[in-house]
Amino acid sequence: MLSLLPPPNDYLLIAVILGMPLLGAFVNGIWGNRLGKQAVRLMALGAVGVSFLASVVAFISLSQLSETEKGAHVRLVWNAWEWMHTTGGHEGAIVPIEVKFSVDQLSGVMMLVVTGVGFLIHLYATSYMENDKSYARFFAYLNLFVFSMLVLILGDNLPLLFVGWEGVGLCSYLLIGFWYETPANAAAGKKAFIANRIGDFGLICAMFLLVEYTGALDWNGIANGATSLVHPGEPFRVHVWPLGGGHYEGILSFLQPHKPFTISAATAIGLALLLGCTGKSAQIPLYVWLPDAMAGPTPVSALIHAATMVTAGIYLICRLSFVFVLSPFTMMMIALVGAGTALFAATIAVVQNDIKKVLAYSTISQLGFMFLGVGVGAFTAGFFHVFTHAFFKACLFLCAGSVIHAMHARIHDDAKAQDVRNMGGLRKWLPLTHWTFAAATAAIIGLPFTSGFFSKDEILYRAFVDRTVNPEDGVGLLRKLGTYSPPQWLGPVLYTMAVAAALLTAFYMCRLYFLTFWGDFKGWTVGRPSLVSRQELAQDDADHAHHDDLTTPSYAPHESPWQMTVPLIILAAFSLFAGVLNPGFGILRERPMDHWLEPVFKSATERAVLFAHNNDAAWAEHLEWPLALGGFGAFAIGTALAWWVYVAQRGEPAQRLAQSQPGLYRLVLDKWRIDELYDATAIAAVDSLAETAAAFDKSVVDGILARATAAVVAALGTVLRVFQNGIVHVYAAMMVVGLAAAGWFFSVPHPNATIADAGNDDYTLTAAPGIGYAYRWDADGDGKPEKPDFGNSATLKVHVEPGKSQDVNLEVRNSFGLVRTKTIHVARPQEPTSSL
Amino acid sequence: MIPVEHYVILSALLFVTGGIGFLVRRNVLVTLMSIEVMLNAANLALVAFNRSRLAHDAAQTYSGQSHTGQVFAFFVIAAEAAEVAVGLAIVLAFYRLRRTVRSDEADLLKN
Amino acid sequence: MNTLGTIYFYGLALLALGGAAGVVVSKNPIRGAMGLLLLILSIAGLFLALHAQFLAAIQLIVYAGAIVVLFLFVIMLLGPSAATPSDRRGIVVRIFGGALFALASIAALWRVVAVAMEAHRELPMPQPDASFGGIDAFGSALFADALVPFELSSGLLIVAVVGALAVARGRQGQASMSRSELDVARSPFPKEAVRELPELTSGVFSHEIHLPEPEETRVEAPLRGAASTTPLKESAS
Repeated sequence: MLSLLPPPNDYLLIAVILGMPLLGAFVNGIWGNRLGKQAVRLMALGAVGVSFLASVVAFISLSQLSETEKGAHVRLVWNAWEWMHTTGGHEGAIVPIEVKFSVDQLSGVMMLVVTGVGFLIHLYATSYMENDKSYARFFAYLNLFVFSMLVLILGDNLPLLFVGWEGVGLCSYLLIGFWYETPANAAAGKKAFIANRIGDFGLICAMFLLVEYTGALDWNGIANGATSLVHPGEPFRVHVWPLGGGHYEGILSFLQPHKPFTISAATAIGLALLLGCTGKSAQIPLYVWLPDAMAGPTPVSALIHAATMVTAGIYLICRLSFVFVLSPFTMMMIALVGAGTALFAATIAVVQNDIKKVLAYSTISQLGFMFLGVGVGAFTAGFFHVFTHAFFKACLFLCAGSVIHAMHARIHDDAKAQDVRNMGGLRKWLPLTHWTFAAATAAIIGLPFTSGFFSKDEILYRAFVDRTVNPEDGVGLLRKLGTYSPPQWLGPVLYTMAVAAALLTAFYMCRLYFLTFWGDFKGWTVGRPSLVSRQELAQDDADHAHHDDLTTPSYAPHESPWQMTVPLIILAAFSLFAGVLNPGFGILRERPMDHWLEPVFKSATERAVLFAHNNDAAWAEHLEWPLALGGFGAFAIGTALAWWVYVAQRGEPAQRLAQSQPGLYRLVLDKWRIDELYDATAIAAVDSLAETAAAFDKSVVDGILARATAAVVAALGTVLRVFQNGIVHVYAAMMVVGLAAAGWFFSVPHPNATIADAGNDDYTLTAAPGIGYAYRWDADGDGKPEKPDFGNSATLKVHVEPGKSQDVNLEVRNSFGLVRTKTIHVARPQEPTSSL
Repeated sequence: MIPVEHYVILSALLFVTGGIGFLVRRNVLVTLMSIEVMLNAANLALVAFNRSRLAHDAAQTYSGQSHTGQVFAFFVIAAEAAEVAVGLAIVLAFYRLRRTVRSDEADLLKN
Repeated sequence: MNTLGTIYFYGLALLALGGAAGVVVSKNPIRGAMGLLLLILSIAGLFLALHAQFLAAIQLIVYAGAIVVLFLFVIMLLGPSAATPSDRRGIVVRIFGGALFALASIAALWRVVAVAMEAHRELPMPQPDASFGGIDAFGSALFADALVPFELSSGLLIVAVVGALAVARGRQGQASMSRSELDVARSPFPKEAVRELPELTSGVFSHEIHLPEPEETRVEAPLRGAASTTPLKESAS
């Protein structure tokens, strides 16, 4: 059976995995409208389905290959073609950039997640978007997204990953602004794209630095050249101040520091990549696009902004783990950014009223957890959280979509349909949605033995216990020098922040759950038929009728069709039970996923990630239960608090708190006004720059350059037009002028000579020929010609010593008897004194 | 024996006369006739030089004496007959358009 | 013999120059055509002196017999219009062109003459054969060495005939305007144009030209020239 498959170094199945979504996007995009909804559905689902099946086959091949190789870092590679090449490295060697895809243990898991969850969400969307008029366009974009994400994951080098990176950014923009007729949606799409782009700047700079310092852009090559990234010697340090290694003098000498401040190339690359990852994965400072992205359809939020695209940043950090660990400073920054974002986003989620906004901030917070995980060196833990998060967050979003779908039939206003204050008691009418939502919530808050519990706890444990050092520390070149080491208090601080965030997570998720599904339905009186447009009333059928009697409960919210509920069930099941893939806690000592991913991260974590307290493994093991208790406590306290406030006390304590602290409440509700801060500072700066440029363009470029040149040309034209008065005689006269000038030129002799080196310090001068020319030379420039007659000798030899020069006169006479003279200066330069 | 230089000088004078006529006169017919004068002057020069250089290398077919100049003049006459025919046709068309034969009425390309 | 040859040359030279001057100077184009005829005859005589008998005959047949006659036909066709009244418009440019040309030519000629006189020698003139310049010699040179140009020139003549036909015939029934009508059509107020009779009298064989009858005159006739000059005139102002 294995022999039917392609060999591992030319694994063509990857072309199927990539090609099917691309084909689906192409077909649906171009002919979708003509094919009809049924065909579009089939094409889209078929494309992603086949891609998923091919991914499964590839994964099985990979696992068999891994067995035969006994746990080495194996890859299934497909080299499509060479895209381009550049020069890099310190010797300027040629660096080829190929379109080469590879499946290894890390990308294999990710590939399964993307295609699997992608398939379920496609299935969901076939029913959710049923009444949308741009059905085909939606599925074209969605397939294109899956393709781009696969290119990102399977790319074997950074430029190809970047192609996928940009592709998912593009699809995100297209899908967020899917209903682009509403300006707010289009603005949200633009915001997402621009925030991503700012991060991409970091990624591009990192690519430049990598190709310069390691001389390669593919994973193997970078790994081979990675030691040069921490070389303490001169060409390998990145000069931060003075910029670029210069020296400030004169006026700027006050800027010159005593000692130049340099950082290692690894730190520079790591920080640049971190900027890219914060953009894509919505961390501080570039998270602001994700809440706005909820303007897109809910399946989009589920796929892109929960399960797959936003995890691309963590994927990149895992991919280049061996580069990041070379810089403990960067690792510390990643962990701090992650923990800080987790806590920050959780505080905002606590007070939001829109169901999708809560989930958006929850996503940001969970991504913070993942960053924290990879930042302390627990790459497998962080990646496992990516894996589990994909399931429960997608499930949560799809459930939210189901709820909105039900609410929308009654309440036509988008904002009100998603407002949690209009919901309540929906578990009566939406049982399936309710149970799946509960399952996913249990996973996210860390109910013991759900998947979320295992992944989150692992991260909390490792945050406290791990310490990252430079793996080259004490080895080789760095033997004598010290390197930056994170402070001792970092672990406990990170742990505390993470526990606080977990507590808040439990609180707001339970709040959301209770407000939506428990209590009484508050949406009976919302949604007046007068708000419903005539067009939508005409589209009503029995299921989606906009009834006019609002007081009776007879037209209740209803459950969704099977295309929407089956994915929910599958995802909920995974959320609950996927923990078996990497428990490792207590009695369940097995860690299958850790083992699976170990070869990928071994080289990175071997010497870089140690336990604190001088690498005391026993100390770390003793802390396992206490730290887990902290996580459990966060879950318990958060859930209990939420139950007490929202079920027992029916939300009154929250109301009282909000009324007593109105300023603080409004600040947190307004997301700490970070968007407004950005508007006032960065965006205002860019706007003023744009206005300056526009004014410059209008006045200088248009006014002076364009109009002035036009005016000059017009003036010249006006002058020259005088000569063209249509009268033949004038033209004839001008012809005569030209003729006379040409005649003068030809009737006058033109002396000229070329100088050629004749060896032995001689120069040979050859005079230019002409009709009837006779020459007379004066070789020493004294005014007396050698021979008094004009002869036919056209060449002359002069001897010129090095460093000396001589003037030679040449007189030429033509047939008309006119004579002209020219002085030719012949000089020989000095002998070179050195051979540099 | 009249030296060939005399013929050449005569040809030059005729050419200058024709050229001045072409440049100064406004009547299109006179202009055309001046062109005839110039071409005749050129013919004279050609035939004169042919007479003075009988052993031209490139064309020696008949008893070692070349007739290149005369043949050239022959073609000049032929081409110039064609030119006169077409030129006069143009003059007629121009006359039909403008009812005049003055060349400064033909200023449609002004500016 | 020498004196006869010298008188012959100088006599014909003077006649040639006189004919050329006549072409250039005379007001009456018939006089100019006669001057051209005189020139041609003189040149033919000079060809004879240069041992170019065949060419002299050709010169007489083609030039004097066809080209000058053609000129005369056209001049007769045009009638009085063939002679333009002289006025001073554009005299400066013309005088300038002519003068510059004359000066340049005289300067060149002077240089050449000066050099030739300096050299104090004349080009040697070999004695030609008896058959030089005759039909046999000329014919074999023409059809052996210059066959291709000969054939091409026949094509040229055909093209010229066709072209002359096409240009001279013009469009059937096309109305043409008189001078005064042209002035009226060019004026900015064409609506107030006054219909005027053409002042023209026809020439000798002028019934071949489509002269308009008085009642056929239309100001709004589609005239290629006028229709396009009006906008030009306005835009130029």
